[in-house]
Amino acid sequence: MLLIANDLNAYIPVGILLLMAVAFPIINLIGTSLLGPSRRGKEKDAAYESGMTPIDTARKRFNVRFYILAMTFLVFDVEIIFLYPWAVSYTQLDPQSGEASLFLGRILFFIATSVIAYIYAWRKGVFRWE
Amino acid sequence: MTPFLAQSPWPQFCVSVVMLVLILHVILGAGAYFILLERKVCAWVQDRVGPNRVGPLGLLQPIADGLKLFVKEDFIPAGVDRTLFILAPAFSVIPAMIGFAIIPWAGLWETTSWSVYIMVADINIGVIYLVATASLGVYGVVLGGWASNNKYSFLGGLRASAQMISYEIPMGLALLCVILTAGTLMPQQIVAQQIEGQWYMVQQPLAAIIFYICLLAEANRAPFDLAEAEQELVGGWHTEYSSMKWALFFLGEYAHIFVGSAFFVTLFMGGWSLNPFWGWDLPVAGGLALILCQMAIVMGKIFLLVVLTMVVRWTLPRFRFDQLMRLAWEGMIPASLVLLLVTSVVTFIGWLHYMWLASLVTLFFFWLIRPALPQQADPNRRVGLIGSRFSPASSEPGSDTATER
Repeated sequence: MLLIANDLNAYIPVGILLLMAVAFPIINLIGTSLLGPSRRGKEKDAAYESGMTPIDTARKRFNVRFYILAMTFLVFDVEIIFLYPWAVSYTQLDPQSGEASLFLGRILFFIATSVIAYIYAWRKGVFRWE
Repeated sequence: MTPFLAQSPWPQFCVSVVMLVLILHVILGAGAYFILLERKVCAWVQDRVGPNRVGPLGLLQPIADGLKLFVKEDFIPAGVDRTLFILAPAFSVIPAMIGFAIIPWAGLWETTSWSVYIMVADINIGVIYLVATASLGVYGVVLGGWASNNKYSFLGGLRASAQMISYEIPMGLALLCVILTAGTLMPQQIVAQQIEGQWYMVQQPLAAIIFYICLLAEANRAPFDLAEAEQELVGGWHTEYSSMKWALFFLGEYAHIFVGSAFFVTLFMGGWSLNPFWGWDLPVAGGLALILCQMAIVMGKIFLLVVLTMVVRWTLPRFRFDQLMRLAWEGMIPASLVLLLVTSVVTFIGWLHYMWLASLVTLFFFWLIRPALPQQADPNRRVGLIGSRFSPASSEPGSDTATER
Protein backbone atom coordinates (compact mmCIF):
# COMPACT_ATOMS: atom_id res chain seq x y z
CA MET A 1 0.00 0.00 0.00
CA LEU A 2 1.34 3.36 -0.99
CA LEU A 3 -1.46 5.28 0.58
CA ILE A 4 -2.11 4.90 4.27
CA ALA A 5 -5.57 5.98 5.34
CA ASN A 6 -5.18 9.13 7.37
CA ASP A 7 -6.19 12.78 7.27
CA LEU A 8 -3.05 13.89 5.46
CA ASN A 9 -4.05 11.82 2.38
CA ALA A 10 -6.27 14.69 1.33
CA TYR A 11 -3.26 16.94 0.90
CA ILE A 12 -1.69 14.76 -1.83
CA PRO A 13 -4.07 16.06 -4.56
CA VAL A 14 -3.36 19.60 -3.33
CA GLY A 15 0.35 18.91 -3.88
CA ILE A 16 -0.31 17.59 -7.41
CA LEU A 17 -2.47 20.61 -8.13
CA LEU A 18 0.27 22.94 -6.91
CA LEU A 19 2.82 21.24 -9.18
CA MET A 20 0.50 21.57 -12.19
CA ALA A 21 -0.29 25.18 -11.34
CA VAL A 22 3.43 26.02 -11.08
CA ALA A 23 4.24 24.16 -14.30
CA PHE A 24 1.55 25.94 -16.33
CA PRO A 25 2.97 29.49 -16.24
CA ILE A 26 6.55 28.21 -16.58
CA ILE A 27 5.71 26.29 -19.77
CA ASN A 28 3.76 29.24 -21.12
CA LEU A 29 6.52 31.74 -20.40
CA ILE A 30 9.24 29.55 -21.93
CA GLY A 31 7.08 28.70 -24.95
CA THR A 32 6.16 32.27 -25.75
CA SER A 33 9.74 33.50 -25.37
CA LEU A 34 10.87 30.83 -27.86
CA LEU A 35 8.07 31.38 -30.38
CA GLY A 36 7.81 35.14 -30.50
CA PRO A 37 10.07 37.50 -32.43
CA SER A 38 12.60 39.60 -30.57
CA ARG A 39 13.79 42.99 -31.73
CA ARG A 40 15.20 45.60 -29.46
CA GLY A 41 15.95 49.28 -29.77
CA LYS A 42 16.71 52.28 -27.63
CA GLU A 43 13.25 53.80 -27.92
CA LYS A 44 11.52 50.45 -27.60
CA ASP A 45 13.40 49.59 -24.42
CA ALA A 46 12.22 52.70 -22.64
CA ALA A 47 9.35 52.59 -20.18
CA TYR A 48 5.97 53.70 -21.53
CA GLU A 49 5.12 57.20 -20.49
CA SER A 50 2.46 58.27 -22.97
CA GLY A 51 5.03 58.76 -25.70
CA MET A 52 7.32 61.10 -23.82
CA THR A 53 10.88 60.31 -22.86
CA PRO A 54 10.62 58.81 -19.36
CA ILE A 55 11.57 61.26 -16.65
CA ASP A 56 13.57 59.60 -13.89
CA THR A 57 12.85 56.21 -12.35
CA ALA A 58 9.39 55.24 -11.14
CA ARG A 59 10.61 53.89 -7.83
CA LYS A 60 10.45 56.99 -5.74
CA ARG A 61 9.05 57.80 -2.36
CA PHE A 62 5.31 57.40 -2.17
CA ASN A 63 2.60 58.40 0.20
CA VAL A 64 3.04 57.23 3.78
CA ARG A 65 -0.67 56.47 4.13
CA PHE A 66 -0.18 53.23 2.26
CA TYR A 67 2.11 52.06 5.06
CA ILE A 68 -0.30 53.19 7.76
CA LEU A 69 -3.13 51.42 5.97
CA ALA A 70 -1.07 48.22 5.76
CA MET A 71 -0.36 48.36 9.50
CA THR A 72 -4.04 48.88 10.31
CA PHE A 73 -4.83 45.96 8.02
CA LEU A 74 -2.36 43.79 9.92
CA VAL A 75 -4.12 44.49 13.23
CA PHE A 76 -7.42 43.29 11.83
CA ASP A 77 -6.10 40.39 9.82
CA VAL A 78 -4.32 38.86 12.80
CA GLU A 79 -7.48 39.33 14.83
CA ILE A 80 -9.55 37.51 12.20
CA ILE A 81 -7.08 34.62 12.14
CA PHE A 82 -7.56 34.22 15.89
CA LEU A 83 -11.32 34.29 15.41
CA TYR A 84 -11.48 31.28 13.03
CA PRO A 85 -10.66 28.58 15.64
CA TRP A 86 -12.87 30.42 18.10
CA ALA A 87 -15.84 30.38 15.70
CA VAL A 88 -15.54 26.63 15.16
CA SER A 89 -15.15 25.60 18.80
CA TYR A 90 -17.67 28.14 20.09
CA THR A 91 -20.60 26.56 18.27
CA GLN A 92 -19.73 23.12 19.62
CA LEU A 93 -19.91 24.17 23.28
CA ASP A 94 -22.79 23.21 25.48
CA PRO A 95 -24.83 26.39 26.05
CA GLN A 96 -25.91 25.17 29.48
CA SER A 97 -22.40 24.57 30.83
CA GLY A 98 -21.43 28.21 31.22
CA GLU A 99 -18.40 27.72 29.00
CA ALA A 100 -20.22 29.35 26.10
CA SER A 101 -20.77 32.58 28.01
CA LEU A 102 -17.12 32.54 29.07
CA PHE A 103 -16.05 32.14 25.44
CA LEU A 104 -18.41 34.88 24.33
CA GLY A 105 -17.16 37.26 27.01
CA ARG A 106 -13.54 36.62 26.15
CA ILE A 107 -14.03 37.20 22.47
CA LEU A 108 -16.07 40.34 23.14
CA PHE A 109 -13.14 41.68 25.15
CA PHE A 110 -10.71 40.63 22.40
CA ILE A 111 -12.73 42.39 19.71
CA ALA A 112 -13.16 45.42 21.96
CA THR A 113 -9.36 45.87 22.16
CA SER A 114 -9.06 46.11 18.39
CA VAL A 115 -12.19 48.23 18.11
CA ILE A 116 -10.46 50.78 20.37
CA ALA A 117 -7.48 50.76 18.00
CA TYR A 118 -9.89 51.11 15.08
CA ILE A 119 -11.66 54.11 16.62
CA TYR A 120 -8.27 55.70 17.35
CA ALA A 121 -7.20 55.21 13.73
CA TRP A 122 -10.50 56.64 12.50
CA ARG A 123 -10.18 59.74 14.69
CA LYS A 124 -6.57 60.15 13.54
CA GLY A 125 -7.84 60.30 9.97
CA VAL A 126 -6.19 57.13 8.66
CA PHE A 127 -9.22 56.38 6.50
CA ARG A 128 -9.48 59.88 5.04
CA TRP A 129 -8.00 60.03 1.53
CA GLU A 130 -8.55 63.34 -0.09
CA MET B 1 -13.49 -6.86 -1.94
CA THR B 2 -16.15 -4.57 -0.54
CA PRO B 3 -14.63 -3.98 2.92
CA PHE B 4 -11.19 -3.48 1.41
CA LEU B 5 -12.35 -0.79 -1.02
CA ALA B 6 -14.52 0.86 1.60
CA GLN B 7 -11.48 1.24 3.84
CA SER B 8 -9.05 2.05 1.07
CA PRO B 9 -8.15 5.66 0.31
CA TRP B 10 -7.65 4.84 -3.38
CA PRO B 11 -11.19 5.55 -4.71
CA GLN B 12 -11.18 8.98 -3.09
CA PHE B 13 -7.67 9.62 -4.40
CA CYS B 14 -8.58 8.64 -7.96
CA VAL B 15 -11.73 10.77 -7.93
CA SER B 16 -9.72 13.67 -6.50
CA VAL B 17 -7.15 13.48 -9.29
CA VAL B 18 -9.84 13.17 -11.98
CA MET B 19 -11.67 16.19 -10.56
CA LEU B 20 -8.41 18.09 -10.30
CA VAL B 21 -7.52 17.62 -13.96
CA LEU B 22 -11.11 18.20 -15.08
CA ILE B 23 -11.67 21.41 -13.13
CA LEU B 24 -8.23 22.77 -14.02
CA HIS B 25 -9.16 22.44 -17.68
CA VAL B 26 -12.59 23.89 -17.03
CA ILE B 27 -10.96 26.91 -15.40
CA LEU B 28 -8.46 27.42 -18.21
CA GLY B 29 -11.16 27.01 -20.87
CA ALA B 30 -13.57 29.18 -18.92
CA GLY B 31 -10.86 31.81 -18.50
CA ALA B 32 -10.61 32.02 -22.28
CA TYR B 33 -14.33 31.89 -22.94
CA PHE B 34 -15.23 34.32 -20.15
CA ILE B 35 -13.41 36.96 -22.19
CA LEU B 36 -15.70 36.22 -25.12
CA LEU B 37 -18.70 36.21 -22.76
CA GLU B 38 -17.54 39.50 -21.30
CA ARG B 39 -17.35 41.06 -24.73
CA LYS B 40 -20.78 39.66 -25.63
CA VAL B 41 -22.29 40.98 -22.38
CA CYS B 42 -20.61 44.34 -22.97
CA ALA B 43 -22.04 44.42 -26.48
CA TRP B 44 -25.46 43.48 -25.19
CA VAL B 45 -25.38 46.22 -22.53
CA GLN B 46 -24.22 48.78 -25.09
CA ASP B 47 -26.68 47.60 -27.75
CA ARG B 48 -24.03 46.26 -30.13
CA VAL B 49 -23.47 42.87 -31.74
CA GLY B 50 -20.11 41.95 -30.27
CA PRO B 51 -17.52 39.57 -31.73
CA ASN B 52 -19.14 37.40 -34.43
CA ARG B 53 -16.52 37.01 -37.19
CA VAL B 54 -14.29 34.17 -35.99
CA GLY B 55 -16.32 31.00 -36.21
CA PRO B 56 -20.07 30.69 -35.65
CA LEU B 57 -21.23 33.40 -33.20
CA GLY B 58 -17.59 34.26 -32.64
CA LEU B 59 -17.05 31.05 -30.74
CA LEU B 60 -13.51 30.57 -32.05
CA GLN B 61 -12.46 34.06 -30.99
CA PRO B 62 -10.75 32.97 -27.72
CA ILE B 63 -8.68 30.38 -29.60
CA ALA B 64 -7.59 32.96 -32.16
CA ASP B 65 -6.75 35.40 -29.37
CA GLY B 66 -4.79 32.76 -27.47
CA LEU B 67 -2.76 31.75 -30.54
CA LYS B 68 -2.08 35.38 -31.37
CA LEU B 69 -0.90 36.15 -27.84
CA PHE B 70 1.28 33.05 -27.79
CA VAL B 71 3.33 34.05 -30.85
CA LYS B 72 3.59 37.73 -29.95
CA GLU B 73 6.91 39.20 -28.93
CA ASP B 74 7.72 38.56 -25.27
CA PHE B 75 9.25 41.95 -24.61
CA ILE B 76 11.13 42.92 -21.46
CA PRO B 77 11.90 46.64 -21.34
CA ALA B 78 15.22 47.94 -20.10
CA GLY B 79 15.31 49.11 -16.50
CA VAL B 80 12.90 46.51 -15.13
CA ASP B 81 13.72 44.12 -12.33
CA ARG B 82 13.99 41.08 -14.59
CA THR B 83 13.41 38.32 -12.04
CA LEU B 84 10.35 39.91 -10.50
CA PHE B 85 9.07 41.05 -13.90
CA ILE B 86 9.02 37.45 -15.12
CA LEU B 87 7.75 36.01 -11.85
CA ALA B 88 4.85 38.43 -11.37
CA PRO B 89 2.44 36.84 -13.91
CA ALA B 90 3.16 33.43 -12.41
CA PHE B 91 2.45 34.78 -8.93
CA SER B 92 -0.80 36.12 -10.27
CA VAL B 93 -2.04 32.94 -11.92
CA ILE B 94 -0.84 30.25 -9.49
CA PRO B 95 -2.99 31.30 -6.47
CA ALA B 96 -6.04 31.58 -8.72
CA MET B 97 -5.44 28.08 -10.07
CA ILE B 98 -4.94 26.25 -6.78
CA GLY B 99 -7.84 27.81 -4.88
CA PHE B 100 -10.62 25.57 -6.19
CA ALA B 101 -9.28 22.47 -4.43
CA ILE B 102 -11.79 22.65 -1.59
CA ILE B 103 -14.92 23.52 -3.59
CA PRO B 104 -17.43 20.63 -3.40
CA TRP B 105 -18.69 20.15 -6.96
CA ALA B 106 -21.21 17.49 -5.99
CA GLY B 107 -22.17 15.39 -3.00
CA LEU B 108 -21.17 11.94 -1.90
CA TRP B 109 -20.90 9.37 -4.72
CA GLU B 110 -22.16 6.12 -3.25
CA THR B 111 -21.81 2.79 -5.03
CA THR B 112 -21.93 -0.68 -3.56
CA SER B 113 -18.20 -0.75 -2.94
CA TRP B 114 -17.19 2.82 -2.11
CA SER B 115 -18.41 6.29 -1.27
CA VAL B 116 -16.32 9.29 -2.25
CA TYR B 117 -16.64 13.07 -2.16
CA ILE B 118 -16.64 14.80 -5.55
CA MET B 119 -14.00 17.35 -4.64
CA VAL B 120 -10.27 17.65 -4.95
CA ALA B 121 -9.22 17.80 -1.33
CA ASP B 122 -11.42 16.98 1.63
CA ILE B 123 -9.23 18.85 4.12
CA ASN B 124 -10.43 19.93 7.53
CA ILE B 125 -9.25 23.55 7.28
CA GLY B 126 -11.20 23.85 4.01
CA VAL B 127 -12.44 27.41 3.89
CA ILE B 128 -9.23 28.88 5.35
CA TYR B 129 -7.21 27.23 2.57
CA LEU B 130 -9.19 29.06 -0.10
CA VAL B 131 -9.02 32.40 1.70
CA ALA B 132 -5.26 31.97 2.18
CA THR B 133 -4.55 31.11 -1.45
CA ALA B 134 -6.87 33.81 -2.77
CA SER B 135 -5.13 36.52 -0.76
CA LEU B 136 -1.77 35.47 -2.21
CA GLY B 137 -2.99 36.97 -5.48
CA VAL B 138 -1.99 40.44 -4.30
CA TYR B 139 1.70 39.52 -4.75
CA GLY B 140 1.41 39.25 -8.52
CA VAL B 141 -0.10 42.72 -8.73
CA VAL B 142 2.37 44.36 -6.36
CA LEU B 143 5.44 42.70 -7.87
CA GLY B 144 4.27 43.45 -11.41
CA GLY B 145 3.77 47.09 -10.52
CA TRP B 146 7.09 47.39 -8.75
CA ALA B 147 9.21 45.49 -11.27
CA SER B 148 7.97 47.38 -14.33
CA ASN B 149 9.76 50.63 -13.40
CA ASN B 150 6.88 52.50 -14.98
CA LYS B 151 4.95 55.19 -13.16
CA TYR B 152 1.56 53.93 -14.32
CA SER B 153 2.36 50.38 -13.24
CA PHE B 154 3.71 51.58 -9.92
CA LEU B 155 0.62 53.62 -9.07
CA GLY B 156 -1.64 50.81 -10.24
CA GLY B 157 0.18 48.27 -8.09
CA LEU B 158 0.02 50.55 -5.04
CA ARG B 159 -3.68 51.17 -5.47
CA ALA B 160 -4.42 47.50 -6.06
CA SER B 161 -2.51 46.39 -2.97
CA ALA B 162 -4.25 48.94 -0.74
CA GLN B 163 -7.62 47.94 -2.18
CA MET B 164 -7.06 44.19 -1.91
CA ILE B 165 -5.88 44.26 1.70
CA SER B 166 -8.68 46.63 2.70
CA TYR B 167 -11.41 44.41 1.30
CA GLU B 168 -9.92 41.27 2.76
CA ILE B 169 -11.03 42.31 6.26
CA PRO B 170 -14.81 42.58 5.67
CA MET B 171 -14.54 39.42 3.54
CA GLY B 172 -12.98 37.51 6.45
CA LEU B 173 -15.55 38.88 8.90
CA ALA B 174 -18.48 37.96 6.63
CA LEU B 175 -16.96 34.51 6.25
CA LEU B 176 -16.75 34.24 10.04
CA CYS B 177 -20.50 34.88 10.28
CA VAL B 178 -21.08 31.89 8.00
CA ILE B 179 -18.66 29.72 9.97
CA LEU B 180 -20.45 30.69 13.19
CA THR B 181 -23.77 29.72 11.62
CA ALA B 182 -22.44 26.43 10.25
CA GLY B 183 -20.04 25.56 13.07
CA THR B 184 -17.54 23.99 10.72
CA LEU B 185 -14.76 24.93 8.30
CA MET B 186 -15.34 22.00 5.93
CA PRO B 187 -17.13 23.18 2.78
CA GLN B 188 -19.02 19.98 2.08
CA GLN B 189 -20.48 20.14 5.59
CA ILE B 190 -21.43 23.78 5.08
CA VAL B 191 -23.30 22.72 1.93
CA ALA B 192 -24.90 19.76 3.70
CA GLN B 193 -26.20 22.08 6.42
CA GLN B 194 -27.72 24.40 3.84
CA ILE B 195 -29.45 21.45 2.18
CA GLU B 196 -30.85 20.42 5.54
CA GLY B 197 -31.93 23.95 6.39
CA GLN B 198 -31.96 27.23 4.49
CA TRP B 199 -29.37 28.78 2.22
CA TYR B 200 -27.03 31.06 4.15
CA MET B 201 -28.03 33.76 1.69
CA VAL B 202 -31.42 33.66 3.41
CA GLN B 203 -29.99 33.21 6.89
CA GLN B 204 -27.26 35.85 6.57
CA PRO B 205 -28.33 38.26 3.82
CA LEU B 206 -26.10 41.11 4.98
CA ALA B 207 -23.04 38.84 5.13
CA ALA B 208 -23.81 37.63 1.59
CA ILE B 209 -23.99 41.18 0.23
CA ILE B 210 -20.74 42.20 1.96
CA PHE B 211 -19.02 39.05 0.76
CA TYR B 212 -20.08 39.55 -2.84
CA ILE B 213 -18.89 43.17 -2.89
CA CYS B 214 -15.56 42.02 -1.43
CA LEU B 215 -15.28 39.34 -4.12
CA LEU B 216 -15.59 42.01 -6.80
CA ALA B 217 -12.98 44.15 -5.05
CA GLU B 218 -10.58 41.25 -4.53
CA ALA B 219 -10.76 40.28 -8.19
CA ASN B 220 -10.14 43.92 -9.19
CA ARG B 221 -13.41 44.03 -11.08
CA ALA B 222 -15.44 47.10 -11.82
CA PRO B 223 -16.68 49.12 -10.01
CA PHE B 224 -13.47 48.45 -8.09
CA ASP B 225 -11.02 48.29 -11.01
CA LEU B 226 -9.06 51.36 -9.99
CA ALA B 227 -5.80 49.50 -10.37
CA GLU B 228 -6.28 49.33 -14.12
CA ALA B 229 -8.33 52.46 -14.64
CA GLU B 230 -7.66 53.06 -18.32
CA GLN B 231 -8.41 56.75 -18.26
CA GLU B 232 -5.86 57.47 -15.54
CA LEU B 233 -3.30 54.68 -15.56
CA VAL B 234 -3.25 53.30 -19.13
CA GLY B 235 -3.16 49.60 -18.17
CA GLY B 236 -2.37 49.78 -14.47
CA TRP B 237 0.16 47.27 -13.25
CA HIS B 238 0.33 45.40 -16.58
CA THR B 239 1.17 48.42 -18.73
CA GLU B 240 4.62 47.07 -19.59
CA TYR B 241 3.54 43.47 -20.11
CA SER B 242 3.02 41.83 -23.47
CA SER B 243 2.40 38.46 -25.02
CA MET B 244 1.71 35.47 -22.74
CA LYS B 245 2.77 37.34 -19.60
CA TRP B 246 -0.10 39.74 -20.14
CA ALA B 247 -2.43 36.83 -20.91
CA LEU B 248 -1.45 35.13 -17.66
CA PHE B 249 -2.55 38.21 -15.71
CA PHE B 250 -5.92 38.08 -17.40
CA LEU B 251 -6.23 34.34 -17.01
CA GLY B 252 -5.52 34.85 -13.30
CA GLU B 253 -8.23 37.49 -13.09
CA TYR B 254 -10.88 35.35 -14.77
CA ALA B 255 -9.87 32.23 -12.83
CA HIS B 256 -10.18 34.35 -9.70
CA ILE B 257 -13.72 35.32 -10.68
CA PHE B 258 -14.62 31.69 -11.39
CA VAL B 259 -13.22 30.40 -8.10
CA GLY B 260 -14.72 33.31 -6.17
CA SER B 261 -18.15 32.62 -7.66
CA ALA B 262 -17.78 28.93 -6.82
CA PHE B 263 -16.86 29.92 -3.27
CA PHE B 264 -19.92 32.16 -3.03
CA VAL B 265 -22.13 29.35 -4.34
CA THR B 266 -20.69 26.99 -1.72
CA LEU B 267 -21.02 29.40 1.17
CA PHE B 268 -24.25 31.23 0.48
CA MET B 269 -26.20 29.46 -2.26
CA GLY B 270 -26.06 25.95 -0.87
CA GLY B 271 -23.93 24.31 -3.56
CA TRP B 272 -26.30 22.03 -5.47
CA SER B 273 -29.27 22.86 -3.25
CA LEU B 274 -32.42 23.73 -5.18
CA ASN B 275 -34.67 24.96 -2.39
CA PRO B 276 -33.49 28.09 -0.56
CA PHE B 277 -35.89 27.47 2.34
CA TRP B 278 -36.88 24.58 4.54
CA GLY B 279 -38.33 21.46 3.04
CA TRP B 280 -37.58 19.17 0.10
CA ASP B 281 -34.16 19.26 -1.47
CA LEU B 282 -31.77 17.12 -3.49
CA PRO B 283 -30.17 14.38 -1.37
CA VAL B 284 -26.48 14.68 -0.51
CA ALA B 285 -25.47 11.14 -1.43
CA GLY B 286 -26.43 9.06 -4.43
CA GLY B 287 -25.48 7.41 -7.68
CA LEU B 288 -23.78 8.72 -10.78
CA ALA B 289 -26.90 10.34 -12.30
CA LEU B 290 -27.52 12.39 -9.17
CA ILE B 291 -23.84 13.41 -9.00
CA LEU B 292 -23.90 14.67 -12.58
CA CYS B 293 -27.14 16.53 -11.86
CA GLN B 294 -25.57 18.19 -8.82
CA MET B 295 -22.50 19.23 -10.78
CA ALA B 296 -24.69 20.76 -13.47
CA ILE B 297 -26.59 22.77 -10.85
CA VAL B 298 -23.37 24.04 -9.24
CA MET B 299 -21.93 25.03 -12.60
CA GLY B 300 -25.19 26.75 -13.57
CA LYS B 301 -25.14 28.83 -10.40
CA ILE B 302 -21.50 29.76 -10.97
CA PHE B 303 -22.33 30.81 -14.53
CA LEU B 304 -25.19 33.01 -13.32
CA LEU B 305 -22.91 34.70 -10.78
CA VAL B 306 -20.22 35.30 -13.40
CA VAL B 307 -22.77 36.87 -15.74
CA LEU B 308 -23.98 39.04 -12.85
CA THR B 309 -20.37 40.13 -12.25
CA MET B 310 -20.04 41.12 -15.88
CA VAL B 311 -23.34 42.99 -16.02
CA VAL B 312 -22.26 44.87 -12.87
CA ARG B 313 -18.99 45.76 -14.56
CA TRP B 314 -20.65 47.25 -17.62
CA THR B 315 -23.39 48.99 -15.67
CA LEU B 316 -21.77 50.78 -12.76
CA PRO B 317 -19.24 53.61 -12.97
CA ARG B 318 -15.89 53.33 -11.24
CA PHE B 319 -15.30 54.50 -7.67
CA ARG B 320 -12.90 57.25 -6.77
CA PHE B 321 -10.02 56.06 -4.59
CA ASP B 322 -11.04 57.93 -1.43
CA GLN B 323 -14.63 56.70 -1.87
CA LEU B 324 -13.34 53.16 -2.27
CA MET B 325 -11.32 53.35 0.93
CA ARG B 326 -14.18 54.95 2.81
CA LEU B 327 -16.57 52.22 1.70
CA ALA B 328 -14.19 49.56 3.03
CA TRP B 329 -12.98 51.12 6.26
CA GLU B 330 -15.85 53.30 7.35
CA GLY B 331 -18.69 51.27 5.91
CA MET B 332 -18.18 47.57 5.49
CA ILE B 333 -15.72 46.86 8.30
CA PRO B 334 -17.94 48.32 11.06
CA ALA B 335 -21.00 46.67 9.50
CA SER B 336 -19.37 43.25 9.35
CA LEU B 337 -17.91 43.62 12.87
CA VAL B 338 -21.32 44.42 14.35
CA LEU B 339 -22.87 41.62 12.30
CA LEU B 340 -20.27 39.20 13.69
CA LEU B 341 -21.04 40.28 17.26
CA VAL B 342 -24.80 40.00 16.77
CA THR B 343 -24.36 36.60 15.10
CA SER B 344 -22.29 35.31 18.02
CA VAL B 345 -24.95 36.52 20.46
CA VAL B 346 -27.73 34.88 18.42
CA THR B 347 -25.67 31.67 18.38
CA PHE B 348 -25.26 32.00 22.13
CA ILE B 349 -29.00 32.30 22.66
CA GLY B 350 -29.46 29.35 20.33
CA TRP B 351 -31.83 30.86 17.74
CA LEU B 352 -29.98 29.17 14.90
CA HIS B 353 -33.13 28.93 12.81
CA TYR B 354 -33.72 32.68 13.03
CA MET B 355 -30.25 33.78 12.02
CA TRP B 356 -31.66 36.38 9.62
CA LEU B 357 -32.56 38.35 12.75
CA ALA B 358 -28.84 39.14 13.04
CA SER B 359 -28.85 41.09 9.77
CA LEU B 360 -32.01 42.95 10.78
CA VAL B 361 -30.60 43.81 14.21
CA THR B 362 -27.37 45.03 12.60
CA LEU B 363 -29.24 47.31 10.19
CA PHE B 364 -31.42 48.58 13.05
CA PHE B 365 -28.31 49.24 15.16
CA PHE B 366 -26.76 51.39 12.44
CA TRP B 367 -30.02 53.24 11.91
CA LEU B 368 -30.06 53.90 15.66
CA ILE B 369 -26.49 55.19 16.00
CA ARG B 370 -26.49 57.04 12.71
CA PRO B 371 -26.84 60.52 14.29
CA ALA B 372 -23.82 59.83 16.54
CA LEU B 373 -21.50 58.85 13.68
CA PRO B 374 -18.96 61.43 12.51
CA GLN B 375 -20.50 63.13 9.50
CA GLN B 376 -18.83 64.80 6.62
CA ALA B 377 -20.45 67.76 4.95
CA ASP B 378 -20.53 66.18 1.50
CA PRO B 379 -18.51 62.98 1.24
CA ASN B 380 -18.83 62.86 -2.54
CA ARG B 381 -17.85 66.44 -3.24
CA ARG B 382 -15.39 67.14 -5.98
CA VAL B 383 -11.82 67.06 -4.70
CA GLY B 384 -9.50 69.29 -6.67
CA LEU B 385 -5.94 68.19 -7.22
CA ILE B 386 -4.57 71.56 -6.27
CA GLY B 387 -5.23 72.24 -2.64
CA SER B 388 -5.71 68.64 -1.57
CA ARG B 389 -3.65 67.42 1.35
CA PHE B 390 -1.23 65.41 -0.78
CA SER B 391 -0.84 67.63 -3.74
CA PRO B 392 2.71 68.80 -4.34
CA ALA B 393 1.23 71.96 -5.76
CA SER B 394 -0.01 74.52 -3.34
CA SER B 395 -3.40 76.16 -3.30
CA GLU B 396 -1.91 79.57 -2.50
CA PRO B 397 0.57 80.89 -4.98
CA GLY B 398 3.84 81.76 -3.31
CA SER B 399 3.78 79.27 -0.42
CA ASP B 400 5.85 76.10 -0.76
CA THR B 401 4.04 73.64 1.50
CA ALA B 402 0.69 72.09 0.75
CA THR B 403 -2.09 73.32 2.97
CA GLU B 404 -2.80 71.07 5.92
CA ARG B 405 -6.44 70.33 6.49
